[in-house]
Amino acid sequence: MMKIENLKANIGSKEILKGLNLVLEEGKVHAIMGPNGAGKSTLSKAVTGHYEIEITGGDIVYKNRSLLEMSPEERALEGIFLSFQNPVEIPGVNNAYFLRTALNAKRKHEGKKELNAAEFLRLMKEHLESLGMKSDMISRSLNEGFSGGEKKRNEILQMLVLEPDVIILDEIDSGLDIDALRAVSEGINKMKNGKRSFLVITHYSRILDYIKPDYIHVLKEGKIVKTAGPELVAQLEAEGYESIEDENQ
Amino acid sequence: MKLTALQDKNVDELRMLLGVDAKKDLLLKKLSELGMPEIKNEIYRYFDTQSLLEKQYDRIRFVPKKIEESDKIEIVDGIIKTAPKGIRVYYGEYKEVDTAHFDPLYYLGHLLVSSVIIIELDGDVETEILHRFTQPDTLIAYRLVIKNQANRHATVYETFEGAHAEGSLVLYGYDMHIAKDSSLRFLKNQTMHNREYSMIASHKISVQKQANMVYKSFDFGDASALTLLKAELDRFAHIEAGHLLYIAGHAKRGIVSQIIHKDEHTTSHQEAKNILDDNARGIFDALVKVEPSAKYTKAYQNSKSILLAENTYMIAKPQLEIYVDELEASHGATMGQLDKRQLFYLQSRGISQTDARKMLVMAFANTLIEKIKDARHQERIKTSFEAAFHASNKAEEHLPTLLR
Repeated sequence: MMKIENLKANIGSKEILKGLNLVLEEGKVHAIMGPNGAGKSTLSKAVTGHYEIEITGGDIVYKNRSLLEMSPEERALEGIFLSFQNPVEIPGVNNAYFLRTALNAKRKHEGKKELNAAEFLRLMKEHLESLGMKSDMISRSLNEGFSGGEKKRNEILQMLVLEPDVIILDEIDSGLDIDALRAVSEGINKMKNGKRSFLVITHYSRILDYIKPDYIHVLKEGKIVKTAGPELVAQLEAEGYESIEDENQ
Repeated sequence: MKLTALQDKNVDELRMLLGVDAKKDLLLKKLSELGMPEIKNEIYRYFDTQSLLEKQYDRIRFVPKKIEESDKIEIVDGIIKTAPKGIRVYYGEYKEVDTAHFDPLYYLGHLLVSSVIIIELDGDVETEILHRFTQPDTLIAYRLVIKNQANRHATVYETFEGAHAEGSLVLYGYDMHIAKDSSLRFLKNQTMHNREYSMIASHKISVQKQANMVYKSFDFGDASALTLLKAELDRFAHIEAGHLLYIAGHAKRGIVSQIIHKDEHTTSHQEAKNILDDNARGIFDALVKVEPSAKYTKAYQNSKSILLAENTYMIAKPQLEIYVDELEASHGATMGQLDKRQLFYLQSRGISQTDARKMLVMAFANTLIEKIKDARHQERIKTSFEAAFHASNKAEEHLPTLLR
C-alpha cells in the first residue's frame, strides 16, 4: 500500500527523521509508538505534505507513485487522511460547507457525481448518530469552540465521510475520556474493510485496547528501531522505550 | 480641464477659474484654505491624487432629461435617468453645505455643480441607486442629497457600472440628513475594474437625535477610489459603519473618515476588514472624535487586514480624539497573512489551494457580509465578492501548484 524508504526530513535546520523505513500493508493496522521527540508527528506530516517539513532524502511510494511529487490536496484526493493531534479552529468556515466541499472534491476526482445539499445532509445524519455527535455541530464554524473530544470526533466524522485508503491517526486518544475514546474507536473500527491501512501514532497503549494493531513499530530518534506483533505492547508497558534496541544495527 | 490648475489659488482666482458667482464665496474660501489635495495633505497622503488631478479631462454639459419611471434610481454621468414611483428625485439648490468639512474636494464637488440631486425617502421605503458612467476621459462631478422622514426606516442599496468610462474621474458624494427617530441603512456595493474610471467620493452624514445610521461599503476590484466620510451624531444618535475592502492589481482604495460625537449618549461602531492582493494599497484612516459636549458616549473602532501578497501595503490608522472622561471607547488594528495551519488543514482534506484560500478569505469577510439583514442584498454582495475573488485568482489557477 505504502512504502517509506530511508526517509530523511528536517524541520527548520534540525533533522528529525534520519532514514526511516516502513511498509504499510493493505488492510493492516500499524501502530507507531515512541518517546516524545522521536519524530512520530513529523512522520505524519511528511506523509501528508506539511509545509514545515523539508524532505532531504528517501522516498514515500504510494500506489506506485512518489508521494513527494504531490501537493497536500492531491495526496488527500488519492486517499491519504490524517486525523490531526490538534485540529485547527477556522472561524467563519461552516463545518458542513467545508465537509461537503471536501467530499465533492474527492467525488469529482473519482469521476463520481457530486452530492447536493439534501443528499449530503442525509449522509451526515447517519454518521453523526453513529458518533454520538449533536446535529448542530455541523452547522457551527469548523472546530471553533469545540471541546477536545468534539474536535477528535469531528476528525473521525471527516474520515467516515471521505472514506480514505490510508488513515493516519496522530494521538487520536489524547484528551479523550473513556466514552469519547470508545465512540471514536468504534468509528475507526467501522472503517476496517480488509483493504484500508491504518497508521496509529500513540504514546500509550490504551487506544490499542480498542483498535487492535497487527504490527507495532517503535520509533526512536527518527528511525523505526523495532517491528513486532501486538505482544510488544506489554513489553513496552513493562520496560519502557529505553529497553528497545535498534534491531537494524 | 485640469484640476491642478486650482492649486494654491485665492478666492478670486478660484471664482474665475470655476466660473461661479459671489454667492459661493464661502465654499471658495473653504477650498482655498484647505487647498487642493497633494502629497503633503495628510488626508490624501496615501492616495495617489496627483496623477488624477493633473490629467486633462473633458467636462459634461449639464442637460437634465425627463425622468422616466423605473424600479430604481438610475443616474447616468450625473444626470437622473429613472426613478421609482413614490420616491421624490429632483434637482434643487442645497443650502446646508457643511462649513467645517475636512475634505477640500467636498467643497470642489459643490462648486462644480449648479444643482444637486435631491432624493426624499418618504415613509418606510427601500430603493436602489445605480450610478452609470459612460464617458471616457471625462470629469464626472455631481452631488446628491438624501433626506428621510422622522420615525421612518429606509434602505438604500447602491451599485455602479462604468465599463465605458475609461480614464474618467468621478467626483461625487452625498449629504445625508437622517431625521430624528428614523433609521437609514445604506449599502454600497462597488466593483471597480482597472482601465475603467477612478473615483473620489466625499460624504457628509448628519445623524439627528435618536436616529440610527448604518453605512456599509463593499469595495472590490483593482481600480483606485477613495471615500471621505464625515458623520456627526446628535444626542442618542448611533452610527454603524462597516467597510469591506477586497482589492488587487495596482488598486489604491479605502476610506478616510471622521465620526464626530457632538452630544451625549451617542454611539458609534466602525469596523473595517481589508483583504489585499497583488500590489494593492488599502487605506483605513479613521478618526473618532468625542467632543466635550458628548458625555456618556460609546465608540468602538477596529480594522483587520489580511495581506495575500508580499507587495501589498495597508495603511491602518484608527484614531480616537477624546475630550470627555465619561465614555467607553476602544480602537485597534491587526494585520497578517492567511493562517498557514488553516490553509494546510483544508488542503489536507482534498480542497484545492485556490478553494481553500477562497474559504478562508470568505470566512474573514463573512462577519461583515452576514451582518446585512436582507438576504437578497447579502446574496448580491456575496456574488460580487466571489466574482472579485475569481478575477484576481484567474491567472493563478493556471499555474502549476508548486509555482503558486
